[in-house]
Amino acid sequence: MIQTFHLLPEITLRCFSDNRFKQETLSLQFIRPMRKEEASLNALLPAVLLRGCETAADLRAITQRLDDLYGASVGAQLRRVGDYQTTGLSCSFMQEAYALDNDAVFAPMMAFLQELMFRPLLVGGVFSEEFVEGEKRNLLSAIAAQRNDKRIYANGQMVKRMCKGDSFGIPRLGEKEDVEAITPAGLYAHYQKVLRESPVHLFYVGATAPEKIAKLLRPMFAGLERNPVALPAQTPFHDCGGCTETEEMDVAQGKLCLGFVTPVTLRDKDFVAMQIFNTVFGGGMMSKLFMRIRETLSLCYDISSTYHGSKGIVTVSAGIDNHMDSAVQEEILAQLQACQAGDFTDDELTAAKQALLTQLQSTHDSPGAIEGYYATAALSGLTLSPADYIRAVEDTTAADVANAAKTLRLHTVYFLRGPVL
Amino acid sequence: MKKYDYPEVGETLYKTTLSNGLQVVVLPRPGFTKKLCYFVTDYGAIHRAFTMDGADYLAPAGVAHYLEHKLFDMPGRDVTGEFAALGGIPNAFTSFDMTAYYFSCTENFKENLALLLEFVTTPYFTDESVAKEQGIIGQEIDMNADNPDSKLFEMLAEAMYEKHPIHTPILGTRESIGQITPQVLADCHRAFYRPDNMFLCVVGDVDPQEVAQLAEAQLQNLPRPTVTAIRSWDEPMEAKQHFVTCQMEVAMPMFQLGFKSAALPNGEDGVRQEIIGDLAAEALFGESSGLYLKLYDAGLIDASFGGGYETIEGMSMLIASGDSEDPSAVKDAILQEAKRLVEEGISQEDFLRMKRSAMGRRIRSLDSFEATCFRLCAYHFSKFDYFRIPHLYGEITQAEILKFIQTVVTEARMCMAVITPKEEV
Repeated sequence: MIQTFHLLPEITLRCFSDNRFKQETLSLQFIRPMRKEEASLNALLPAVLLRGCETAADLRAITQRLDDLYGASVGAQLRRVGDYQTTGLSCSFMQEAYALDNDAVFAPMMAFLQELMFRPLLVGGVFSEEFVEGEKRNLLSAIAAQRNDKRIYANGQMVKRMCKGDSFGIPRLGEKEDVEAITPAGLYAHYQKVLRESPVHLFYVGATAPEKIAKLLRPMFAGLERNPVALPAQTPFHDCGGCTETEEMDVAQGKLCLGFVTPVTLRDKDFVAMQIFNTVFGGGMMSKLFMRIRETLSLCYDISSTYHGSKGIVTVSAGIDNHMDSAVQEEILAQLQACQAGDFTDDELTAAKQALLTQLQSTHDSPGAIEGYYATAALSGLTLSPADYIRAVEDTTAADVANAAKTLRLHTVYFLRGPVL
Repeated sequence: MKKYDYPEVGETLYKTTLSNGLQVVVLPRPGFTKKLCYFVTDYGAIHRAFTMDGADYLAPAGVAHYLEHKLFDMPGRDVTGEFAALGGIPNAFTSFDMTAYYFSCTENFKENLALLLEFVTTPYFTDESVAKEQGIIGQEIDMNADNPDSKLFEMLAEAMYEKHPIHTPILGTRESIGQITPQVLADCHRAFYRPDNMFLCVVGDVDPQEVAQLAEAQLQNLPRPTVTAIRSWDEPMEAKQHFVTCQMEVAMPMFQLGFKSAALPNGEDGVRQEIIGDLAAEALFGESSGLYLKLYDAGLIDASFGGGYETIEGMSMLIASGDSEDPSAVKDAILQEAKRLVEEGISQEDFLRMKRSAMGRRIRSLDSFEATCFRLCAYHFSKFDYFRIPHLYGEITQAEILKFIQTVVTEARMCMAVITPKEEV
């Protein structure tokens, strides 16, 4: 169902043709290595591009162009996949068929995307200082605001401690000092490097014929001076040792986060069994962690586990009473042991498989899910199509799941504790 | 079932009313695998006072949400487990004026639907399970207390409203949920989970006739007491207080600014007012407005800034919120811009562009099963046919928008809630 076009060396367009949707979407991703020294630059770049271009010099002019295109939207395309991160733009717009008076939407939208991406507003040969400083302030508040959501904050703190030697420990938006150091000239130089060196992935979903998309997009890149640099292959987790740490903060509910490592990544054949294990363990309302720790013991309001397949990391996060950390941790480990011993029922296994199957079977029902699945798979090294993935889930046995669980090892514990009353 | 076509938005609906009074709507989605089904009741956190078969009731705050949690219990059964075995993903939410139970699935649609209808209409509350839930919901209340966005809205609503029950949080408080007993839950279930007070909505590639037949067969002999709930409150339009603030563990000051506006009438007039409110918010401080650009360039607002028109049964308000080092300056600028707009008006070009954009976004949102199903339910209870919205966009005039701004965006109707970072000790 996907048609791939190699527009130019290291510039790939993938099209998912579908006339069921009322909108069309296109993502434009420049692929970068995940490095501390450029995480903030990559996060800042699209924000500055979205402040103004030669043909729409400020936010209001941009919004008016989009409003004229029936409320089309353009946003930053930032994604982290294993050792890679992406920077760029994505857009979504109404199918022309619904426009009044035969207004055009598709061609002007593509033209506008090109103007935003490749013809930024320059002052003295670099990005406008006003835009760069303004977006630095935004990025700094976004970094600071991560502290507002205590669950995200605590998880971030755990991952930072766990992944001292791995790209996974680099915060997606970079750190405060990295952002503060950015200058308009420095960001512009980085932008030119991104355009010159990065592999580019484009992904389209919608009713327009793929050949037409390819024909329209190819010239977009023709004028660029390119010298593509191939990316190093994805790597598994680099272990630099774990720790156990408690941080005190004035919060009503404590957040307990555990990090586990496993050698199984999404590039291994055991990946599907590991994904099913994670679902049995902590991936939803039927999981062992949820049923036991919330439903039976009432020790928390929320608890779940996540498997980061590109690295081989499983994280568990729980919102708990401030004095219950030892009891909850003990119970989490007991539930892991149960999975390792194959101590789960057919119902638990079926429920986990069904949850994954429902999700996979509906991948093709939304433009966002389609783009998310295929664009991420192209970067992470996941080679399974949704259909192959479904078959692999169906074929996985209880023994496979227990074996996957056995590969887990507790690595890092972080607890955000509020005052104990 | 009766078929209705809406060529402007490329949609078709099938509708019917069952013999027990339940209204059913199916939106076919041929070629899609996913099915989504909402079973909702016209009952939420604000419907605490009611009379049933002649007797008066006043339920503790938080009971609608508590009931939502407890309905998943059935004698000797594991509802979540049964859904899981069928591949259905169930969930539920309680808002101020609606409680919704829903599932999505790709297989076993009929079995999932039967289970949804069964558990929502089977009240089963024991002392033990009601007591246990107090621990879980108590944790949820604590979690909310640490969430600055919910805290801001709760502060704003409490400071702004005198009579409308929006001044009490949906979850209730640790004290109020302590008063909830199996009998309270049973009374509220009987009063509000009557078929004529509920609505069933399905989006997906299903046979509409089959949905109606299955619901008809499943929902037999349900109690239908005579219930009158209080659904309007004599709320003055002036805000009770104009400012409220507290400190929390946040990175920078956060604010919510509300302007009181009248309750929406039912039917087309109500939706018309809703669109007017939306467009007024867009004209005043939307991303295409001059004010947004000015505030953004001055660093007074950032990408977190947003707003719109909130409507809840018995009230409505224009709301703007975001992070800012100087919330008062944002407030002053909005009040000033409102005056300017009323005096100078909006250019015809800008006005048409705003309408075209709002309509295009509505059409795009139809690709989302969740957003569409939710809106069909919400508009159903306000007695309006959602897919007729493009007509209304065509009719609304600039004068209506300006009149709305002139009436609503005033100091008397305004209240601002601000959370500031905790000062270092």
